[in-house]
Formats: sequence, C-alpha cells, structure tokens
Amino acid sequence: MADSSAWIFFLSAVFATYVWRFTGVMISHRIEANHPIFEWFTCLAYGIIASLVARTLILPSGMLEEVPLWQRLIPMVFAFLGFYLLGKRLWVGIVFGETAFITLLWFGEISSL
Amino acid sequence: MRQSMKDLETNPKAVLKGIRNAFGVPALLLFSAMTGFGSMAQEQGLSLYISILSPVLIWGLPGQVVHVELYGLGAPLIAIVLGVAGANARFLPMTLSMMPVFDEAPHNRRWNYFLAQFISINTWAEMLNRGHQINADRRMAYFLGFSLTCMIAGIIGVFNGYMLFESMPIIISLCLIFLVPIYFGLLMSNTIHPPFLLAFVSGCLLGPPMHLLTPEWGLLLSGLISGSLAFMLRNRLKGSGNIKEVNG
Repeated sequence: MADSSAWIFFLSAVFATYVWRFTGVMISHRIEANHPIFEWFTCLAYGIIASLVARTLILPSGMLEEVPLWQRLIPMVFAFLGFYLLGKRLWVGIVFGETAFITLLWFGEISSL
Repeated sequence: MRQSMKDLETNPKAVLKGIRNAFGVPALLLFSAMTGFGSMAQEQGLSLYISILSPVLIWGLPGQVVHVELYGLGAPLIAIVLGVAGANARFLPMTLSMMPVFDEAPHNRRWNYFLAQFISINTWAEMLNRGHQINADRRMAYFLGFSLTCMIAGIIGVFNGYMLFESMPIIISLCLIFLVPIYFGLLMSNTIHPPFLLAFVSGCLLGPPMHLLTPEWGLLLSGLISGSLAFMLRNRLKGSGNIKEVNG
C-alpha cells in the first residue's frame, strides 16, 4: 500500500476518535452544570468500559486466546481478593493476579509453547 | 513526599504531583498495553512513524487496534472510519462526564477541546475519583502532568513493542497483555457510588454475550443498556451520591 494512503487511513482513524471527544466537550458547554445527563453519561462510560474489560478477559483476541479460560478467571479472582482484602492498593492486586497467572501458566500446557 | 492534593499552591507543583501519581502503576499499564499494540502494528505492516503517533493522536487502544487490524486487511476507508468510531465511542460519555471537573477552573473553556485529547480510561478515572480533592485552578496542570506521563509511557511502549516484541519470552508478553484487564477491572470496580458500581457489574455480565451476538456493536449496546439501567435505578440505590459530589 502506498505511503500516502497509509497516512490518509491513519488520519481518518484520528478524526473518527476525536469527533467523540469534541462532541463531548461541545455538549458539556451547552448544558447546565448539574444536569442529570452528566451522571447518565458517567454510568454509560462505566458500562462500556466494563464490557470492554469483560470481553478482553473472557473473549480475548490474539495471544491471550491460547490461555484456557479458567487460567484467566482464577488469576482475576486473586487480583480482586488481593486488592479488596489488603487495603485497596492497585499494585497489590496486580501482583496477586499476575503471580496466580504465571503460576497457572507454569503448570499448564502453555509453558510448552 | 506526601504533599496532599489540596495544597498544591502553584501550577508547576500540580504538574509534578500529576507526574508523580502517574509514575508507577498507571504508566506501567500504558507501557504494557502499548507494547502489545506496537508489536501488532509491526506485524500488520504499519510504519514506525504512524505507530508512534497513534497513541498521541488517537489515544484510545480499542480504536488503535481496529485501525491496525483493518489496515492490515486492506479494508476500505469507510470501514476503518466506522470501525474506529465504534470502538472509541466511549470518549463521548467519558469526555462529557469529565468536563464538570474543569467547571470552576480559570482557563478559557476553549482549552477543553485540547484537554479532551488526553482523556483515557486511566486519566478519566483519576480525575473523577480525585479531581475534586485538588483546587479548581490547579486541576488542568495536574491533569496534564498525569496524562502526559501516561502518554509518554505509551509511546515508549509502542516503540518497545515494535522493536522487540518478537524476541520477548512468551510468558512476559502474556503477563503484559493480562495486566490490562486486571488493572481496568480493579480500577473501575473501585467506586463508592452505587449506580457506577451497578453499571460496572452489569456491563461485565452483558459485555461478552453481547459481543457474541454482534461483534461490531456489542460493546456499545451492552454499555448503553447497563449504564442506562444503573442511571434509572440510581435513586433506589441507597447512598447514591449526586454528580456534584463526584465532580465538584
């Protein structure tokens, strides 16, 4: 593919993302500060991001797909336990989750890859 | 070291505080996620320049991934525009809901169109959770310090992935990829506002089945349903805070 078309494709992707941010700012400037739409849209954002997280975990694409589902779910449970039982520190949750993940990989088939 | 968020007297101090708070797990996350992106971009034949500009100008991983995948497939321009727009549509609700953080800030509101470019899940959650602890006139400086640190970590990640991913041991690559759902799962579940928590939980439950139903629109539909459900039930959920408390 020609170099210039790669840039046109890229800049179109840039535009397709920025248009949402632009619209968000524009709407926020046109409505009053405590309008319920702010809370509704925060809920929407939580819902969309949660769907994204769950999809990445349960229906991943790429390399993670090769790891069996239970080897993804159990480390996630450990991450939550570490986070919520030990003072809500992100790095603690991550260490718990990743340690469980590595341990299961170690004993699982994936180590033969 | 532990300067409280409230008494950041000058903009440089607020920028530094933002950099400090991002330097750690948030920056590491961006580095890892963008390492994955960089390797994918290299695989699909995207040039290094575009790959490195992608986190700066798009700054939303799902859309970046769609762009690279469709580009690699040789898809038509309109497919890329619609695909990226769909994958990154969350920036509309995220941007809209974050703007009240800057309401009392002294900067000209036109700057908000520039600041919006730096919003990512990371920086959005940070400002929603902690923005109100900072004096209104220091929030922009804090936000820029925090976001730019994440963005730079992301750029280094892309470079790293583009150059080295294939020579990295598989177990390390897998851990980097797995960091993304862990981090965002913990970050987003940790909210004290019951409607947001309900939106999160129902989004987690609905997301995968909706994705199987319609891969293109699954995320948006599931987010729309779970978010709206949580919003409608917000008055029934005990202790639900109003948005002023969250943002102001």
